[in-house]
Amino acid sequence: MNTSAHPVAPEEVMALLDEELSIAEAEAISEHVKRCSECAGLAEQFHGTSATLSRWSVPIAARMVEDTVEELTGKESSGGKIGKANIFIRTSFWSWKQWTVWIGATTVGLTVLFAAAGSFYVAHKPRSVHSVTVAGRAGASQSEIDAYGTVGKLETGHNLISGQAESPMFNTSTGFGVGTGSRDGTGPAPPVAGKVDSLVSGQAPMIARTMTLTVATKDFAASRTLLEAILARRHGYAAQMSVNTPENAQRSLQASLRFPAAELAPAVADLKALGRVENETQLGEEVTQQHADLMARLKNSRETEHRLQAILAQRTGKMSDVLEVEQQIARVREEIERMEAEQKSLEHRVDFAAVNLQLKEEYKAQLVPPAVSVTTQMHNAIVAGLQNVSEMVLAIVLFFFEEGPTMVFLLAIFLPPLWFVWTRYRRAMATV
Amino acid sequence: MNESPRKTEKEAQASPLSDEQLMAAFVKGSHVAFGELFSRYKQPLFGFFRRRADAAHAEELTQETFLAILRGASRYEARALFRTYLYAIGFKILRAHRRRAAFRLAFLGKGPEYREPAVQDGAEAGLLIRQAVARLGAIDREVLLLREFEELSYAEIAVVLRLPLNTVRSRLFRARTALHDLLAAPAGKQAVGELTESEEHV
Repeated sequence: MNTSAHPVAPEEVMALLDEELSIAEAEAISEHVKRCSECAGLAEQFHGTSATLSRWSVPIAARMVEDTVEELTGKESSGGKIGKANIFIRTSFWSWKQWTVWIGATTVGLTVLFAAAGSFYVAHKPRSVHSVTVAGRAGASQSEIDAYGTVGKLETGHNLISGQAESPMFNTSTGFGVGTGSRDGTGPAPPVAGKVDSLVSGQAPMIARTMTLTVATKDFAASRTLLEAILARRHGYAAQMSVNTPENAQRSLQASLRFPAAELAPAVADLKALGRVENETQLGEEVTQQHADLMARLKNSRETEHRLQAILAQRTGKMSDVLEVEQQIARVREEIERMEAEQKSLEHRVDFAAVNLQLKEEYKAQLVPPAVSVTTQMHNAIVAGLQNVSEMVLAIVLFFFEEGPTMVFLLAIFLPPLWFVWTRYRRAMATV
Repeated sequence: MNESPRKTEKEAQASPLSDEQLMAAFVKGSHVAFGELFSRYKQPLFGFFRRRADAAHAEELTQETFLAILRGASRYEARALFRTYLYAIGFKILRAHRRRAAFRLAFLGKGPEYREPAVQDGAEAGLLIRQAVARLGAIDREVLLLREFEELSYAEIAVVLRLPLNTVRSRLFRARTALHDLLAAPAGKQAVGELTESEEHV
């Protein structure tokens, strides 16, 4: 049938036979079919196909279907529960929300599993590798590394050591520089060398002080200069400092300062004078007992080392015994060095109070005329936009260059089995 | 209210209630209503499955469809005709059955059981019809079967198969034309052994 020239589409003739047309349409097409032999032939063809199909009969359903449904209906009506359908049927009735939840949960589960496996691997990696690497980076001794235990803590220690080295008050001969000031910061303190013995004997408490101060200042530049002067005057140093000076916006400074315990009170007073104090918190951690315990353990270890060295000097036993004693000495020496590092760290925390300062400018926004014309700004924006696009494209290309081989490798591993499974499943679907 | 479907078969034939009214009554707890629905649709639904699977599986799938209606009665919403709802469930269960069979065949090595022909009289013509239908495309075949045997309207077929209405119409036309050609062509009259089933399935 030539549908371009024919006023009625063959599908409409079919729809007429299937009673799928409106009354008006049905009348019009019915009239046409009566007049058009071509459409009448088509209708006859559809009738014939339907008649042929009707010869495909199926037998009566077995009684078993009825019995089973009857039994389950009875069970359900008497309050019993019908068993669940198999997983294939259940998932057929899932909505997209359920699929989303299921896929999401599976993804999260796998991610957590991989993350846990990764953490497990990292936790069970040999520590010595980390220690050697970090020790080389930080320039710290093995005993110091052992004292901090983990890489993260060692980084803190590294900052501290760097800060001390930069500070004019850092005295390498005494280990931690200024040895003046009392433990509570109210009066002169004995030198560091003499502190330990006096503290062990319980003469004064050891307190590690930490303070947080937020100050708002009107003149940021002057306050910063004053801060440098305070550090010099109070024999302190900045363990860490970061300054933000954006144009036409509030400037700020964040610093982690260290002051000798004796200088803490006057230093804090000086810092407060920089501007208006917005927030102030103080924390004092008493470490006297901790220090005393450490010293006692250190003393015991040293005595043990002396005794072992004496045993080794006699050399009366077998070679295996001698080796064992040497091993013991090495172990005790390691413990001593670790405790000595811990002792130094603890004493430094007591000797130097930490002040976390946040200095903010009391900024008043000002109407600043644009430095460049609107045309120039638009030009710059377009250039920046194009540059961003090119950088993004470059980043994508670089990503594929960098990660591409890995992705190809992973695909080469996982794709063949997945493809095999999928084709096998599709083939099976075609046969069932 | 614990009456079996068998007991209500005669009542169903004389029942003036529509399918939708019966389903609404069943949702409210009337198992008599369910019995009537079962009586009305047991054989059509069995025929639906029997034309797509062997006898044993057709029975099993018929049961599963009615059980799915039993299980989901509390969630039923009368948004369409009951028979559309019924065949939509039946179609989902059929697809689940096919996926399960494919999974078992692909990964457990358990092939499908013997699939006897749906035609019981053994006439060659009937067998040729079945083979010709099997050679149609998957969606075309389903559209044709739902129209010819389940006598669903185009709109109902569109709901069951989740297809646009115009697609249903065009595919039905294509399926009928193709089937006519298959049955009329000399190939259609060849020996049954030379015919192969379509590899496509919905």
